[in-house]
Amino acid sequence: MNPYESYEAKIIEIRELTSREKLFTLRFTDRELESTFTFKPGQFVIVDLRGYGEFPISLCSPPTRKPIQLCIRRVGRLTRLIHKFDEGDSIGIRGPYGNGFPLEKMEGSNLILVAGGLGMAPLRSVLWYAIDTGKFERIYLFYGTKSYEDILFRDEIIYLLKHGEKLNCHVKLAYEVETPSCIYLEKGFSEKVCKGVVTDLFRGEEFNVENSYALICGPPVMYKFVIKELLDRGLSPGRIYMTLERRMKCGIGKCGHCVVGTSVSMKYICKDGPVFTYWDALSTRGLI
Amino acid sequence: MRYVKLSSENFSEFFESLKEIGKIYGPVKHNSTYTFEHVDNVKDLALKYRRTILPPKKFFVKPRDQLFRLKQNTWEEVKDVEKFVLFGVHSCDIHGLKILDRVYLQDPIDPYYKARRDNAFIVGISCMPDEYCFCKSLGTDFAMDGFDLFLHELPDGWLVRVGSIKGHEIVWENQELFDEVTDEDLKNFKEFEEKRAKAFKREINREGLADILDLAFNSPVWKKYSEKCLGCGNCTLVCPTCRCYEVCDNWTRAYEAVRERRYDSCFMPTHGLVAGGHNFRPTRLDRFRHRYYCKSYFDPSAGFNCVGCGRCDEFCPARIEHVKVLEEIREGLI
Ligand SMILES: Cc1cc2nc3c(=O)[nH]c(=O)nc-3n(C[C@H](O)[C@H](O)[C@H](O)COP(=O)(O)OP(=O)(O)OC[C@H]3O[C@@H](n4cnc5c(N)ncnc54)[C@H](O)[C@@H]3O)c2cc1C
Ligand code: SF4
Ligand code: SF4
Ligand code: FES
Repeated sequence: MNPYESYEAKIIEIRELTSREKLFTLRFTDRELESTFTFKPGQFVIVDLRGYGEFPISLCSPPTRKPIQLCIRRVGRLTRLIHKFDEGDSIGIRGPYGNGFPLEKMEGSNLILVAGGLGMAPLRSVLWYAIDTGKFERIYLFYGTKSYEDILFRDEIIYLLKHGEKLNCHVKLAYEVETPSCIYLEKGFSEKVCKGVVTDLFRGEEFNVENSYALICGPPVMYKFVIKELLDRGLSPGRIYMTLERRMKCGIGKCGHCVVGTSVSMKYICKDGPVFTYWDALSTRGLI
Repeated sequence: MRYVKLSSENFSEFFESLKEIGKIYGPVKHNSTYTFEHVDNVKDLALKYRRTILPPKKFFVKPRDQLFRLKQNTWEEVKDVEKFVLFGVHSCDIHGLKILDRVYLQDPIDPYYKARRDNAFIVGISCMPDEYCFCKSLGTDFAMDGFDLFLHELPDGWLVRVGSIKGHEIVWENQELFDEVTDEDLKNFKEFEEKRAKAFKREINREGLADILDLAFNSPVWKKYSEKCLGCGNCTLVCPTCRCYEVCDNWTRAYEAVRERRYDSCFMPTHGLVAGGHNFRPTRLDRFRHRYYCKSYFDPSAGFNCVGCGRCDEFCPARIEHVKVLEEIREGLI
């Protein structure tokens, strides 16, 4: 079997999440594959637009639900192209790739999900997996967004702001740009929504660091600040997980594009990651 | 290992016998440089060559390589089935291929690379170092495996080491061309190796190198050299262990496209670019240093990612010397 060959998948639904992001729901044409395809939250696939190119995208639905979903931001040549696709069109998918979050290990603990912008996409997979399985103590979601209009999965977030506690899920939202909608939201959930950046959401929160894991995904600048916040609260570096992004061409450790590190420690983001702990970041330069 | 002798008189017949396997590629001279090319006539071989511009990796990871053809909206794998002989490969380049093997033959196996490895018959050849070679200090000056036959120069022919079943078969089928090895041959072999060992002019001190480089992350030496560097990427193209590639889809007709991969280089500013225009290695310094780290990465099970072939030095337009940079980094560390 050629590992570079993709499987055909049909786009069965397209949902516009924001002006830049769309959610694609996919079903593999091959029925057997459709029923056997499984993955771990934090893993990604390579989307193949045959004749135009390939790009990596995180799985954004939880493995507990079918069919699979990808949240794709329009940023360049290929993502612009897929935004022009219609329901019923076919694309290629290969994967899943990467290590994913070791969620089995975290069962029974608190999960602190820290998402910035598009980082919500892979963490949504963890979020719903954790809610669906009920295997975790308490789920925190701290989500930093630019503005109300940029909130990914806004309906789900608002639902969880309202009813999350019943699901053991504590959701908080920080926005940067003040608009009437944000102020309205903040009025409704004054404890949970505030103007600021994602680290501001930690204020007033207590969690048992001995029994918690943090899972972070966001723009490169976010990591340092969030990690500092977590370390200050006494979370061990081994309990801080983050998912990283590099330019990827193969996804399977061949093309060399995602290699980082120095002479004593080199890592492939695609196969050693994209999920790493803070220990990894301390031993491999250039990781964050 | 089995050792046999190939006398000078039988050399061209031996060469002809290899055509049974497939097309023969070997070193050919062009003015002052050498390249691996199709060789039909034994006379065209330049066996006393120093180093080719592109290493033998070009037969396994091609500069431009078609992976798939698009037919009726489905991909059709492009298959390479040609069997071929690589004649006259130096020990360092054999080690270079072994480093590529670790990447491409690791699970999941790259089928294109694997097919070409299976289809290749490799004949190694002994060599004399020039001013650029430093393979001896990296332990890559002698190949213990990774070839089918290895020819060591003797005054009156070649001492042949048989390194694989395929190698055994060729020797078996052409028994009349080979003789038993005599004590005299062994003496000559030993003398050649001793002479060769003394001929190295350049060496690298690998003692603690990986750690020293890591500690010297902020060394001003990186800055000094990255300012000299033109960022042309020559050093990565010619390196037998560099293998970064880029993938592109191209339409060849209205309904037909190909997916192709091509050599890429970590010296290109786009190499570290991700969505949103963020670049993980934005400056020439970041990219220059990264290459040294990648080449000097020490894999505990396999050693360094550099085999000391000297190509990056010979073909660097800025005359930057690999070993010199590493030595200065070492010295610069307080
Ligand atoms: C592990 C991983 C998970 C990702 N998950 C998501 C996700 O869930 N949602 C989402 O919207 N985006 C995600 N991305 C980013 C996404 O891959 C890029 O936005 C996309 O590749 C840009 O392609 P383009 O052709 O539109 O952009 P262009 O800027 O036109 O890019 C041109 C070329 O560069 C390559 N390229 C550019 N940026 C990247 C990049 N970050 N990674 C790899 N290749 C790149 C593309 O393959 C393309 O061929 C993820 C990236 C990685 C590495
Ligand atoms: S880094 Fe230079 S000397 Fe080392 S293998 Fe590559 S080209 Fe040869
Ligand atoms: S060949 Fe020399 S000038 Fe060109 S990128 Fe390499 S070090 Fe720089
Ligand atoms: S994406 Fe190709 S090596 Fe990681």
